Amino acid sequence: MSSFIIAIDILLLLYFVSQGVKSKNRLVIFFALIQLVLYFIVLSLDFFTFSDNFLLDKVSFFMLLVVNIVGLIIILYATTYIQDEKFSKSKKINFILILFFFLAVMNLTVSTNNLEIFFLGFELTTLCSYLLIRYRGDTLSQKNALQALWMNQIGGVAILISLIVSIIYYDTVYLDILLKSTDGTFLLPIVFLILAAFVKGASIPFHPWLLGAMVAPTPVSAILHSATMVKLAPYLILKLSPAFSPTLSVLVMLFGSFVFMGASILALGKDYFKEILGLSTVALLALMMAIAAIGTPEAIDICLILIVFHAISKALLFLQAGILEKVFHLKYLQDINYLVNNSKLVVFFIIIGFGSLTLPPFGAFIGKFNSIELIASLIGQNILYLFSLVFILLGSVCLTLLYFKVLTKLLATKNQNSQKQTDIGLVYKFTSWSLVLLLIIGTYICFEFAFLTIDQIIVPSFLIIVTLILFYTSSFKYAHRVKEYNCGEKDELSLSAYYFDIDNKYKKLILIVSIILICLIILGGF
Amino acid sequence: MFEIILILISPIIGGLIYGVERVVKARMQNRVGPPILQPFYDMFKLLDKQPIMINSGHIIFALMHFITLWVVVAMIILGQSILYIIFIHLLASIFLVLAGFSVNSVYSHVGSNRELLAIVAYEPILILIAIGFYIVNGSFEINMIVQNDISLFSMLFLFLAFLLIIPIKLKKSPFDAVEAHQEIVGGVEVEFSGVFFEILYMAKWIEYVFIYALIFLFVGNNILLGTILSLLIFLLLNLVDNSTARIRIDNLVKITLGLGLALSIVNLVWLSYV
Amino acid sequence: MFNFKKYRKKSPWILHYNAGSCNGCDIEILSCLSPKYDLERFGVINTGNPKQSDIMLVTGPVTYRSRERLVELYTQMPEPKVIIAVGSCANTGGVFRGMYNVEDGIDRYIPVDVYIPGCASSPELIIDGVVKALEILESKTKEIEKPKKLYKDETIENGIVDKTQMAQKVKDDK
Repeated sequence: MSSFIIAIDILLLLYFVSQGVKSKNRLVIFFALIQLVLYFIVLSLDFFTFSDNFLLDKVSFFMLLVVNIVGLIIILYATTYIQDEKFSKSKKINFILILFFFLAVMNLTVSTNNLEIFFLGFELTTLCSYLLIRYRGDTLSQKNALQALWMNQIGGVAILISLIVSIIYYDTVYLDILLKSTDGTFLLPIVFLILAAFVKGASIPFHPWLLGAMVAPTPVSAILHSATMVKLAPYLILKLSPAFSPTLSVLVMLFGSFVFMGASILALGKDYFKEILGLSTVALLALMMAIAAIGTPEAIDICLILIVFHAISKALLFLQAGILEKVFHLKYLQDINYLVNNSKLVVFFIIIGFGSLTLPPFGAFIGKFNSIELIASLIGQNILYLFSLVFILLGSVCLTLLYFKVLTKLLATKNQNSQKQTDIGLVYKFTSWSLVLLLIIGTYICFEFAFLTIDQIIVPSFLIIVTLILFYTSSFKYAHRVKEYNCGEKDELSLSAYYFDIDNKYKKLILIVSIILICLIILGGF
Repeated sequence: MFEIILILISPIIGGLIYGVERVVKARMQNRVGPPILQPFYDMFKLLDKQPIMINSGHIIFALMHFITLWVVVAMIILGQSILYIIFIHLLASIFLVLAGFSVNSVYSHVGSNRELLAIVAYEPILILIAIGFYIVNGSFEINMIVQNDISLFSMLFLFLAFLLIIPIKLKKSPFDAVEAHQEIVGGVEVEFSGVFFEILYMAKWIEYVFIYALIFLFVGNNILLGTILSLLIFLLLNLVDNSTARIRIDNLVKITLGLGLALSIVNLVWLSYV
Repeated sequence: MFNFKKYRKKSPWILHYNAGSCNGCDIEILSCLSPKYDLERFGVINTGNPKQSDIMLVTGPVTYRSRERLVELYTQMPEPKVIIAVGSCANTGGVFRGMYNVEDGIDRYIPVDVYIPGCASSPELIIDGVVKALEILESKTKEIEKPKKLYKDETIENGIVDKTQMAQKVKDDK
């Protein structure tokens, strides 16, 4: 079996080299060649401590749940989405096939214990990402696909370096033995795996590949770049966290919370709806990595809740972005006007999607709430926990501002007589409703596992249900309808959302601080 | 039993505080001022107007804002976790923001966007105050906090940061850019009328009860000191309201976050390590 | 049942509109709210919003540019409402009566309840006028009051009265 894996790896890396040569992109060729060299070094080394190739623990179990259930719903959505594209039927079938292949690769990657197989899975997800980003074939897609390719290859290089060091110093390629044998002093293999996690999770400074990947068709953005593939980053940190030294844990936590704040602030000036969702994914992944780095059992539970609910909520939001693109032909926030006149259902899903990330009683809120309680109890141990808590609070409130300022142009109604609502089609409705149903079931399961007390779940759920009931039943027949107040003028108004752009010097500052923190983390491995 | 009665009459208590405040502000300006029960006269007058509205979503969000604020005060009186109460209060503010976005009016939208910026200004500081309570008392539950001794002196800087954000919540100068009455005609309230405006008017009264209840938390089980402290803060707030001008919304966020975060961090470091 | 009508007198909220006046009457109205004459002891608040006010104090002879806006603000006020014309320009056109650029007084456009004379009206007269208007307010009903020019009737669709198109632009008026 291992020669089969070696053959696929080498073919894959040669394919990357060929793609780099074909498009004359030096970075792709450079990283692919380095990976080939390092891979041959790995093959030439011998190791003698063996363990199981596949190992499923609680973390893998949750990742398998997320990948398969949310992935299936998104692929169902993709079958209708891809019908509207102007490609040949075989190319459309290819799209769905690559998506299924990707699900298989993800299942492989999250259940393996062998770092060589993990490397294979990592590179195969890079391949799927590359093929799907350049699916549409125009120059922008190809440029962004190559950028995603070389940035993800940095992660591959990091995994290979970590493999080499692990074989030389710890004599194994198996993750569970590696974690047991490191005693907190020489953590170099762990540190390079953390770097690979940062690359895959598109933390600052690696976030351009995720933003560039938004030109892909929306099911790709939903399944790869928000719900499943980028979740490999917190998954890795969760697996590695039992072996962290206290310094490394605090450093990763500081980095994660700083990126959470930085990405939320960077997202405030964006206009492209999918870029807003992409940067908020970057932010929340960094938060998950920060919490996972703490390493206590409660932290692991909180991170798993965040992974599951973030996947569901972001998938719901990306599905709505796709519906906006296909049914209403809207990509930029400034073009969306008075959407509630055309489709109340899409506005409802968008509000639920954004609300489920910030408001009680939904799952992502439960994760953030419990994480604040957890960090508050840890402040006494290390003063830096306080600073990372401040970063998390600032980032979370910037995300609230971001999500709700987007709703500016969606909710206002223009005419008094309700226009005919556009029907978005059965498949779109079914997939969106099933994700909302998953949110509700998930909230109930969180209550079963006692993350919130009974009245803490009942009160906000009751308030939200009352709001929905009032929307459906009341019509206020006895009130007269009047116009809005405009100082008596009769002019036509057009509304716009607020955008908050920060100076370039602050953006550079965020970049520099992130790079400094990554260097500190790598040095912390020695 | 006593708590249920207190919850049910909390809008009335808020209305009385608001009424007394108008008299105190008038006396500071060398005028006589309206009668103390004036907010209730306003309420009855507003109930008697012909209801007019723009669309039903607008009204429903405002109604849910009021009900959620009442639930927040109920949760404080029943002694729940203070951190969770702050997040339910965030839900109430989001309902108000969505109400402001539901109409096609410029003033309403500007008011909602400013309300979102105000949330950016005060929410981190409120959560850091809650964490201060946790470090001093060992628990987030209000039941525990009111049984312990006064924690005002160990949380002095956090109390100052709290004083900095009270004008934002109660819509007083210098931080009342959210409901800048002469500039954006009241912000989110501009399109409400009659009985629907009454809902927002009563929501303002409940905010008063919320803020003064939080002041009572700082003194623990000493109710006499809490009353004296509330009276002093009341007078100080109205004095500052009468004498300062309004600050622009971006300066509001910078001053409150900058000064408030610095004070809170210094106090929390002192609490954890001294 | 509970007599709500007497509370209309206890909390009158004012909308102040300047329909082309020289600002003399406006200054007198604003000085009513200042500490010397203190209208706030009657519960008066100067709201800038027609939807939340009961009394509209209008000054100035109606100029061409202000007549559409006058009718628009009038239709946005909920019933019961009273209109007070402050100053001789708003009553009859004042010194500008018969000029080419003004309509003579606001009662060509909207029904007026109280006329306050003076050029400029003194604050004591204004307070007397407001108190008289409050007595008239107490006896008003909630039926829809229509302006006299530049308006269209309200429409009713599935039982809901729709007043959004009530105030018209000058060129749309017959």
